[in-house]
Amino acid sequence: MLMAKSIPLSDRIRNRRPLIIIAVVQIAVLTLVAMWVMDVVIVEDTREVVDGVETITFRRELIGDPLLFVLAAIGMSLPLLSSRLRREPVMMLAVQLAIVALLIFVLWPVAQVFVEGFESTEEEGAYSLEHFQRLLTKPMVARATRNTLWLGVTSATLSTIIGAVVAYTLTLTDIPWKRWLRILVVITLISPPFAVSFAFILLFGRRGLITYDLLGIQEWTIYGPDGIILVQLISNIPLAVLILMAVFASMNRDLEDAAEDLGAKTFRVLRTITFPLVTPALLTAWLLNFISSISDFGNPMLIGGGFQLLAPQAFIQRVELFDPQLSAALAMLLVIPALIAFGAQHRISNRRSYVTVTGGARTGHVRKLPGWYKWPLFSIVLFLGLFNLLLYGSIFVGALVKNWGFDYTPTVDHLQALLVTANQLKNSLFVAIAAGVLGGFIGIGLAWLVSRQRFPGRGALDFSGTLMYAIPGTVVGIGYIIAFNAAPYLFTGTFLIIIIAYAFRRLPVGLRSGVAADKQIDPSLEEASLDLGASRPRTFAKITFPLLRTAFFAGVIYIFIRSMTDLSSAIFLSSAKTQLFTVQMFNVMVRGSPSEAAAFAALLIVIIVIALGILGRVTGKSFVDVFRIG
Amino acid sequence: MAREVTFATASIRLENLTKQFKEVLAVDDVTLEVEPGTLVCLLGPSGCGKTTTLRMIAGFEDPTAGRILIGDEDVTEMPPYSRPTAMVFQSYALFPHMSVYENVAYGLKARRTPKNEIPEKVQEALALMELEGQEEKSPSQLSGGQQQRVALARALVIRPKVLLFDEPLSNLDAQLRVRMRGELREVQHRLGITSVYVTHDQEEAFSIADLVAIMNQGKLTQLGSPIDLYRRPADRFVAEFVGLSNVVPAELVQSNAEGADVRVLGQVIHSQQPPAKPKADVSVVLRPEAIGITSGSEGGIAARVRTLAYVGPVLRYTVVVEGDGTELMVDLSNPGATEFYEEGAAVSIELPTEVPALLS
Repeated sequence: MLMAKSIPLSDRIRNRRPLIIIAVVQIAVLTLVAMWVMDVVIVEDTREVVDGVETITFRRELIGDPLLFVLAAIGMSLPLLSSRLRREPVMMLAVQLAIVALLIFVLWPVAQVFVEGFESTEEEGAYSLEHFQRLLTKPMVARATRNTLWLGVTSATLSTIIGAVVAYTLTLTDIPWKRWLRILVVITLISPPFAVSFAFILLFGRRGLITYDLLGIQEWTIYGPDGIILVQLISNIPLAVLILMAVFASMNRDLEDAAEDLGAKTFRVLRTITFPLVTPALLTAWLLNFISSISDFGNPMLIGGGFQLLAPQAFIQRVELFDPQLSAALAMLLVIPALIAFGAQHRISNRRSYVTVTGGARTGHVRKLPGWYKWPLFSIVLFLGLFNLLLYGSIFVGALVKNWGFDYTPTVDHLQALLVTANQLKNSLFVAIAAGVLGGFIGIGLAWLVSRQRFPGRGALDFSGTLMYAIPGTVVGIGYIIAFNAAPYLFTGTFLIIIIAYAFRRLPVGLRSGVAADKQIDPSLEEASLDLGASRPRTFAKITFPLLRTAFFAGVIYIFIRSMTDLSSAIFLSSAKTQLFTVQMFNVMVRGSPSEAAAFAALLIVIIVIALGILGRVTGKSFVDVFRIG
Repeated sequence: MAREVTFATASIRLENLTKQFKEVLAVDDVTLEVEPGTLVCLLGPSGCGKTTTLRMIAGFEDPTAGRILIGDEDVTEMPPYSRPTAMVFQSYALFPHMSVYENVAYGLKARRTPKNEIPEKVQEALALMELEGQEEKSPSQLSGGQQQRVALARALVIRPKVLLFDEPLSNLDAQLRVRMRGELREVQHRLGITSVYVTHDQEEAFSIADLVAIMNQGKLTQLGSPIDLYRRPADRFVAEFVGLSNVVPAELVQSNAEGADVRVLGQVIHSQQPPAKPKADVSVVLRPEAIGITSGSEGGIAARVRTLAYVGPVLRYTVVVEGDGTELMVDLSNPGATEFYEEGAAVSIELPTEVPALLS
């Protein structure tokens, strides 16, 4: 009946116009993608010598990834199904670009890790399970897998428990010096993770200040599983503390009061009310720490001794023992538990949170604790804070003495020696800034797409955007190397590959913080702009982006810091032409003198503190805010 | 005084408009025609589909079925920024990072108005809403009423063919609300611009609208002038929603083309219109102010006072009819000191002898 009414011709032409624009843009984008992932080369086919005349025939051959091109074409055609997007060519293009970018730079490299393990070594382009069997039956593989899982579970459990105690003490009890302790217990977030194990070596290593010089211990060393666990605790407790402090602070005190009012005693309240309320947060902290622990590369490399783990082994097999298939298989075994943990975390965070603050509720009320309860809690927190201070202190002092462990004479020689690495530092700063800006823009744009726009496949886009959170840095490095190593990608050994890898690796954080910030903005602001006649790009540029500026800047700084301190991807992606500061620093830590390495670490910490200072100046956010979004 | 602005206004036609959200049928086959220059109110309880209808006219929601025409133009497929509509939002949606001037100029810039014409047009709109001198202020420095005026100035400055209001007064306090709705009505009337106004406040709708469209569960229940709705509610829902809460079952005595007689609580009442279906159960609407109340047992129907309360200038009794148990609301305007009945007092009530129509 509705169809019977004919639409005027002018309307029909106007309704078709976007389709024509879309078609032209589609072809252009697809051509670019094709040129990027494929190439036709001319190769020698046969060579004949007839009567002394040599005839060479050539043929054309397609190289690159036709499969990737097909996937990109399919991915681009999916949004065409949405009539809503067909009406707005700009939105259509934005969604398509997001799909193509995530496909090429997230899903494809990760998938490559799975494929390479199956690749046959004898025959090019052939795949075999038999080869994979050989890899999996190696005792080292089984051992490394077992060790990794054991380490992940132990480390995550301990850091979550300690993190919960510390977070509870810092938010809900009346201990003194809270302001300073809150900063001290999470301060290790700002340094590269492996700086912690380096500081441990300075203090507790073979020539450690405490073990060797103060206690005279020589038989016991920090190297091995115990050392890794200790170091990971120091690195991972802050994440648990941040997650749980936010939950404790927003917990509605009225609920506990109501339970007490109904006759429940203190322990019953804790068991029946408090604990169930924080369970989702505890699980989240555990799962994220599990991922962080099994992904850890730098710490086991420095302090692991002979303890075999998947992430370091994947590096050693590829770079030192030249067995890329085994390396890919190890990387794959590493990705699987990380993905499972990530999926579980995703489910938990998608479930409705219990801890919702309703208007007028009293939250984060500080309890007055009896002394026998308060001082032990205080000592735990104080010990952790002072220990962190000691670790950082040892790095800075270490940089200013002649040769830590042997000669403690003050000197500035090592600081001057840093000038030699000015080039690497410049490279690292360039890469980190570029990755920060690129990742910040992609993050804020993608956040806007997934939180404000409605189109089919939005959930899949959101998931792909967050997926990298679960992918260990070593796997990202290996995946990028495998995926973009050969022609037609003129890509390996360039700064571009590192920048893109960093931007997409840290995209989840930019995306999440963008989505969170988007939720703070009244959607009718954007609607008002559209209603007044502003197109979607104009609305984004004039209304949405200015209001999201703080979140954008925080995202840029976060990605900058994480890229500045990254080692696990850098060690695969940096080349002779693109040397990075952290890789150089790592080499010095492994081979050079402790004091020389300490100077590197100290400089890196100073740079990060400056970046955080700029952030504070511009947005009024503290460093804790930046890392909370992670 | 501001110069009159001439608007090229247009009619609005909704044809079988339907919107299905996942499980909910938010708007169900709504057909509505709004003549140029008319202000129509969409009135209904929350969740009745009135806001969804408005958002479909603005282009923020895609209809599942049906068409929207503004003037002769089918805008159903058009993105919001191409439509000749301007909306005043419940939250005002003033851009917090722009001054009053920039807010009002925003739509002109977006529509690529020549640069030299913008200042004049903005000033004109600001003058119309009596906002001169506020240009450089940020929205947060303005009072609620002023923010409301900026929102309206920002909508008017782009010369829309249709103005849309989404509960624009719900964030103001009671007194300001009454004043602002007078101002809105005045401006709308003066400019003669077709408007659709969404509200859940019956009093607001009746005081501002040329036509009121009552919506319930996605359907357009009744469309009429405020007087029509008040005098001839189409069904029980409309009767109760427009504030006539005494809907009493009645027994049909006789009916013919000119009207009908019904028996209510033992008393016969004449209806000016016959019931829609001859044999069906009927009800009458007894307006609270049409019922009389006297003390003791001076004839009439015996009842007992259950509650009494001052509602504005009106003294409102709830009485329970003896024996029958029917509850009635009775409003006495300007009650004298002598006519004052305590809770539990025995009273006698008088029903009106004539009603405009029956409900079936």
